[in-house]
Amino acid sequence: MARRAALAAPECESLNGLHTLACFILALAGRRLRRLGRALTGRSSGLTLAALVLFLAAAPTAFAGPKLVQGLIIHDQPRPVPPLDIRDGDSRAAGLDALVGRPVLLNLWASWCMPCVAELPALDRLKPRIEAQGVALVALSLDRGGKVAVVNTFARLGLTRLDIRTDEARTAAEKLDAAVLPITLLIDAQGREVARYVGAADWDAAPARDLLDALATGRRPTPDMAPPQARLKGPPP
Amino acid sequence: MRFWRMITALAVLAWGLGSGPAGAADEDRAVSGRFLLTDMNGRAVTDEAYAGKIRLVVFGYTFCPDICPTILGTLSVALDQLGAERAKVATLFISVDPERDTPAHLKEYLSAFPEIIGLTGSPAEVAAAARNFKVRYEKVADPGGDPALYSIDHTAAIYIMDRAGNFLARMPHAAKPDRVAERVASYLNPKPREE
Repeated sequence: MARRAALAAPECESLNGLHTLACFILALAGRRLRRLGRALTGRSSGLTLAALVLFLAAAPTAFAGPKLVQGLIIHDQPRPVPPLDIRDGDSRAAGLDALVGRPVLLNLWASWCMPCVAELPALDRLKPRIEAQGVALVALSLDRGGKVAVVNTFARLGLTRLDIRTDEARTAAEKLDAAVLPITLLIDAQGREVARYVGAADWDAAPARDLLDALATGRRPTPDMAPPQARLKGPPP
Repeated sequence: MRFWRMITALAVLAWGLGSGPAGAADEDRAVSGRFLLTDMNGRAVTDEAYAGKIRLVVFGYTFCPDICPTILGTLSVALDQLGAERAKVATLFISVDPERDTPAHLKEYLSAFPEIIGLTGSPAEVAAAARNFKVRYEKVADPGGDPALYSIDHTAAIYIMDRAGNFLARMPHAAKPDRVAERVASYLNPKPREE
């Protein structure tokens, strides 16, 4: 929490005098809101409120920090997922349209993103389990180089189950409004995004199972199904 | 309840007075694009090394332990959209983590973004560059207690500087690539003012 409160200060710095004052006050209010949010509905809504406060504080200068909201975000209304130009290892079309009728767990990653790479082995383990439940797992690389970075990363990690899926047109991040990585979208059988997880999740944890069960059976996810954030362990590679 | 009333009143007051164009313009005038840093080939460079080019500048660091901004992806897509015009643009990624972002590490990391130039330096050089751009950054300890896994909170924005290194514009980090490309193109080929 302290980290997110500290985030308010650098943003305040770039604003002019009175705005800076308001920014700091709102950042302080954010702490109260977070406490209130946690007390009322749990951690993620506290963060959402805090993010709203910070957004309002920074909005007039069109300026915002990159990491205000992390964890599970459940949308009030499912959102249609725009058509994506996803390619397989042979550059053939492998879009989500081929998966209509099945729920999809769509993970966005890149080889230059450490937490993304750290999350891949858990997704590789998860794939057969959730596919048995009827859920498709797509790990979409946003790397510029197409499949080369994917093949190298999978080989380095010894991953054998994930399919090569690339964003050669380099439009997925923008279409899916992904300003940070990793992000994992929960897409229902009608092709609508019902929730997204921002950051690397601990997919082996019990809440993740509930979340994926809900996705498989078409139930609406609830905040208690939020998997914990997976933290990197040990020194950076 | 008094607390909330006070917050609301102050917020409304500051919003009205603080979002005026005069204040923002003063702030922008104070941004200077001067720096002395080390490029990813280990050479000392100043902003004058990019004289004659429009510069796109972002600050950041490569060891993002929990989530990583896609800002370099945004910039590289924007450069693609500029086509041949991109030769007139220098795109600079200035590390706010000189401890871990060595020139060699930046070079390896930025092989994923071949058109982006990585800059780092001594802690004092990086601090001076950030000061000139009015960028703030602060080390945040790993909640798990691992000293190697600190993160860095930093001002996230895309700075556009003119061919002499002076401030032209600041765009939000989440700006869409086509908006960035449009803005850069407007500076490369300025149209006569319509007003």
